[in-house]
Amino acid sequence: MQPNINVVSLVSIGRHPQSGRARRAEQDGRAVELGLTLAGQSLTVVHAGNAKEPVLRQYAGMGLPSLTVLEQSEGCDALPVLMSFLQDKSVDVVLTGVRAEGGESSGMLPYLLAEKLGWPLVPRVAEVLEIKNGEAEVLLALPRGQRRAVTVKLPFIASVDNAAQEARQTAFGPGLRADFKVLNGDSVVDEAASQWQISVAKPRPKRIKVVKAKTAADRMKAATAKPVGGGGKVLRNESSTEKAQAIFDLLIEEKVIR
Amino acid sequence: MSDLSSKDSSLDNLLRRDPRAEWIARNRLHPLHNEMLQIGGVEVRGPSGLLRKNPHVIGFIGPNGIKRIDRTNTSSASLGDKKRSSATKETQLPLHIVENPDFYIMVVADMVGGRLTGHDKDILGLAHQLVAKRNGAVTLVCFGDNKETQCDLAGVDRLVHLQGEIYEGFAPEARLNALLQIEAQYKPDYWLFPDSVHGGMDLACRLSARLGERLAAQAWQVNAEHTVCRGASASQDILRDTPRILTLLEECGDAIDESRHQVLPMAIDGIEQTTPAMVDKGLIAVDSNAVPLAEAEFILSAGNGIHNWDQFHAAAAALGATEGASRVAVDDGFMPRARQVGASGTWVTARVYLAVGISGAIQHMQGIGQCDKVVAINTDAGCDMVKRADLAVIADSEDVLAELIQLAQHYSLSKGQEEKSDAA
Amino acid sequence: MTLDWLPPTLIGVLLVLAVIGAVRRINLWRAGQAEKVDILAGLMAMPKRYLHDLHHVVERDKYMSRTHVATGGGFVLAMALTILVHLFGVESHILAWALLAALVMMFCGAIFVYKRRLNPPSRLSKGPWMRLPKSLLTFSITFFVLTLPAAGLPIVGMLPEGTGGWILTLVLSALILVSLSEMLFGMTWGGPMKHAFAGALHLAFHRRPERFGGGRSTGLKPVDFGDGVTIKEVYGVAKPTDFKWNQLLGFDACVQCGRCEAVCPAFAAGQPLNPKKLIQDMVVGLAGGTDEKYAGSPYPNVEVGHAKGAPNQIITDGLVNPDTLWSCTTCRACVEECPMMIEHVDAIVDMRRFLTLEKGETPNKGAQVLENIIATDNPNGYSPASRTHWAADQNLKVMKDVKQADVLFWVSDGAFDMRSQRILRSFVKLLKAANVDVAILGDEERDCGDVARRLGDDATFQSLAKRNLATLSKYRFNTIVTTDPHAFHCLRNEYGDFGSDALKDVEVLHHTTFLNRLIKEGRFHLSPLAGSKVTYHDPCYLGRYNGEYEAPRELLASLGIDVAEMERSRFRSRCCGGGGGAPITDIPGERRIADMRMEDVTSTGADMVAVGCQQCTAMLEGVVEPRPVVKDIAEILAGQLIEETH
Repeated sequence: MQPNINVVSLVSIGRHPQSGRARRAEQDGRAVELGLTLAGQSLTVVHAGNAKEPVLRQYAGMGLPSLTVLEQSEGCDALPVLMSFLQDKSVDVVLTGVRAEGGESSGMLPYLLAEKLGWPLVPRVAEVLEIKNGEAEVLLALPRGQRRAVTVKLPFIASVDNAAQEARQTAFGPGLRADFKVLNGDSVVDEAASQWQISVAKPRPKRIKVVKAKTAADRMKAATAKPVGGGGKVLRNESSTEKAQAIFDLLIEEKVIR
Repeated sequence: MSDLSSKDSSLDNLLRRDPRAEWIARNRLHPLHNEMLQIGGVEVRGPSGLLRKNPHVIGFIGPNGIKRIDRTNTSSASLGDKKRSSATKETQLPLHIVENPDFYIMVVADMVGGRLTGHDKDILGLAHQLVAKRNGAVTLVCFGDNKETQCDLAGVDRLVHLQGEIYEGFAPEARLNALLQIEAQYKPDYWLFPDSVHGGMDLACRLSARLGERLAAQAWQVNAEHTVCRGASASQDILRDTPRILTLLEECGDAIDESRHQVLPMAIDGIEQTTPAMVDKGLIAVDSNAVPLAEAEFILSAGNGIHNWDQFHAAAAALGATEGASRVAVDDGFMPRARQVGASGTWVTARVYLAVGISGAIQHMQGIGQCDKVVAINTDAGCDMVKRADLAVIADSEDVLAELIQLAQHYSLSKGQEEKSDAA
Repeated sequence: MTLDWLPPTLIGVLLVLAVIGAVRRINLWRAGQAEKVDILAGLMAMPKRYLHDLHHVVERDKYMSRTHVATGGGFVLAMALTILVHLFGVESHILAWALLAALVMMFCGAIFVYKRRLNPPSRLSKGPWMRLPKSLLTFSITFFVLTLPAAGLPIVGMLPEGTGGWILTLVLSALILVSLSEMLFGMTWGGPMKHAFAGALHLAFHRRPERFGGGRSTGLKPVDFGDGVTIKEVYGVAKPTDFKWNQLLGFDACVQCGRCEAVCPAFAAGQPLNPKKLIQDMVVGLAGGTDEKYAGSPYPNVEVGHAKGAPNQIITDGLVNPDTLWSCTTCRACVEECPMMIEHVDAIVDMRRFLTLEKGETPNKGAQVLENIIATDNPNGYSPASRTHWAADQNLKVMKDVKQADVLFWVSDGAFDMRSQRILRSFVKLLKAANVDVAILGDEERDCGDVARRLGDDATFQSLAKRNLATLSKYRFNTIVTTDPHAFHCLRNEYGDFGSDALKDVEVLHHTTFLNRLIKEGRFHLSPLAGSKVTYHDPCYLGRYNGEYEAPRELLASLGIDVAEMERSRFRSRCCGGGGGAPITDIPGERRIADMRMEDVTSTGADMVAVGCQQCTAMLEGVVEPRPVVKDIAEILAGQLIEETH
């Protein structure tokens, strides 16, 4: 834990990918987890929205003594209320998820906050290694488990990647007992978003391999060709060198050997 | 295809006739007649050179007793061969020329490893859809190394290539400043970014926040008026007016494949750079085994059939694979619980799953359901894993793993030498 | 004879001390939470409970039951008469002779106790328990000698007058002090004889009085979450004083006979659990102190002597390691074997509740499973809309469409597991052959809450139970049948606590019971199964929890199978290791429970083991081949079904 660091984690209401039910958002949970490791009990957790939402108790159940809710009705822009909340405090680090699990999920919120506050934004953080002398060393999550070290000056905003430490289990009792500080946020309706037509996601068509052939014969060939490697190939009587070579060729073909 | 091909190929297409063979083929009483037909090598041509087919000898009897004639002519060798030889010739696609464009569409590509990704190419294709026959230029903006040699075939009319140390590695601030200068200089109609973890989304959000223009994220259907975006963790489609900045999903458009493009470099002048608040300290070496199992793209998984565990770990290290295990191997204490693959362990999404000595309990098969290619090494040819595998090897794991380790070592050695010679 | 006053005084003083100890001990129990108990009825019922129910359990070991009757009965009788004869000086030859007879009886019993302690099995505790037979012998001999004069048989002739009598009295007094210290003082101040005192009261004030007189009470007691407005300080048991007072009393009743330890699957697998030690740790907790004096088998691979506890100290902070609590498979084998009728499983789940609900420390995959259950109503986080996919080709009626049916088939979460789906399909095949009017809930069904509850998350269990009950109350049916004994147990024994009429007049049956009825009614016909030797594994939640031992066996018999019984079968069946969320919490041991059970199976020479539970099927099939085939009874029956041609 780093001493005297003022950390704020912003949380939203998640959505379970299978059931569509409200839940503790995966990345926001990690943002709270990271906040707890950085600031311990002095972590401030903020949600802009409905204070009666039961999912907030799941965040509180991670061992938060209190949780701040900027009360807002649905369809309102969270940015102005969060701005005014953060401006009033001397915050060192703000942690959010990369993308909300509900709504537009554009991932713009941390960027807009950073822009308005004039702070740097560190995207997709996996770990905060150290904070000292007004500077933090963080690890960014890159695809396939790779990491990049970056230093950034305080104060900053960081979006927390799925590669960060998983959120701890939420406990029912402490969640119930946590104190909710409800502040009235100004409700600015997101006008642009209210113009959108929202529907259930259509399944995207799988891209088919279109063979652009100039002749009928080529088209026929493409249509009748046996899919390559469809049935599993089984090697029995070859020597183990040949067998290994066959496997290795496949690995190279699939580009997993570098 | 061959319209544009060079003159000398016409020589290959010249018809060559064997009059004697044709004569024999015509003369049913000729002693060599049957023989000649059976060889099938004879084309019978009429006086005008028209191909004549004898329907009694071509084709074959199909499974339901009806005669089938394959008119693709793939079996007739001689002429086909000649044609194919001409088809393999490199063909020159028509060049798409944009002069004095009225507007620009900027595509800021990921360029992973200095090359256009499939995602980038899709977006270039989409950009051309947005140009919609008007006089607009699709401009590729790329940072750092550009090893891509086929920009012209991917649909790049103009190229903004920003090189220099400040753009290398993680440099979103410098890159943003460059984009802002492009914005000021060219006022593009659209800014298109891949919605990816390789930095596309990050840069798009920065630009959008700086310009104060709302972007459309996770767009997958775009035209000049409307955009359909995914929202709420891909559970909703949002139909909205097309904004100027978009981050696009994969397969949002079709890559260009029927034209060449100019790839004219464009100059950007006077990019104002500031001292960045974030400083890149470089990549951290990550052990392939430290990659979370669910994320890993290549898993070497061990089951009950493994007896030499040191060798297994060595193989994983040599191949650069992430280690997985069946439940039994975990229960027996050879592997930690976090390595267990299956319905009750981790559901994996690896592109290649190499299962060694795993017979494939149903729960395990459930867990690897999303794997692309499965390779099995097993002594039991009848087990479920072998049935599921794209490539199965019936052998003792120890021999095959030993060979694999050798192969991997040779490979990395020869690759290392290659790189050295490249550098030299 | 100037010292005649000494023995009665000693008896009196020790009696007073014993009473003081008793009051003190009772106060320790009273530190627990209030629980309504019918004190008077309990006390009245106590002798019968002892003689009938407790003895029924002890009787499983004939040697011990007879020994205990002689020793215990003799002692109670002798003590009562001693007080009359020696303390109050009632001069009656009849009483004195009766006392002598009681002492002889006790002496004979004590001899056998002594014999047994010469080479005690490992499950028995040593330490002070080793001196108990000596104390018993001393008591019976001392009081025999002391009583002889009262019975008119003076022993004066044997010893010289004067100093001789004086010495004799002194010696006797010393022996009285020694033996009564054990028998009276020790009884209420924590000696081995405590079991008699606490045990008797435990029988009287047992938390599950339904268990006496042949009844069964196995459903866990719900956590009281109140009205949702007032929030309690703690949910589950954090400190010993968070137990109900009669649970604390129950811990004190333990005789450390170690029968629980002998049957505990986790103990045998080398996981850090020993039910006897756990109960003794609870005693340490309620009385305060350390476990240094514990003289039985430890938790496997855990050293004794480092556990500290106090009534108001959090149990998992130094008294019991959480791994101990998570090792339990809730198989109830210990409860079934306990002669003192202690409820180990209740206590373990109570403490797990604290770990999950208050600390959020469910180990390994526990947290993820609970999160999935909350968000998707099934432990693996599958889409709730895919619950009926298994039945796509089964043409089953869904309650939402038909509103009523004779039988409701509770599918359970096996619907998501490809192995369990085979069991479900087999069962449906049999139902169709028997023309049963059956319907399923389809996607309206939710996890029954079993796993959540055993993992200590009673909040989620109760939420699931209430929502399931609300769904059930929308439809009409006479019977619920399920292939999952865990769901069966929840529906039958645990859903009753939530004040719903949904299951009123509804019979909840396990599929083996139901199929057995259908066969007896001749609703479908089976061809005999020849050529394989079959054994049957009793699932804990079907057998011990619900007492169904016969139906599965009758079903197998109807196929002409002569079940090759395992040594541990019926109420002594060994758990497969799949209960209580044990595969989820996955506490490491030296062996796997399923492997041990499979060894039991193999030792019968059977080539097939019939099971009545998908969890057991999964666990036993998880054993590395070669091993006997594992099949659910429904699968075996469906394979032998003679399909009528129409």
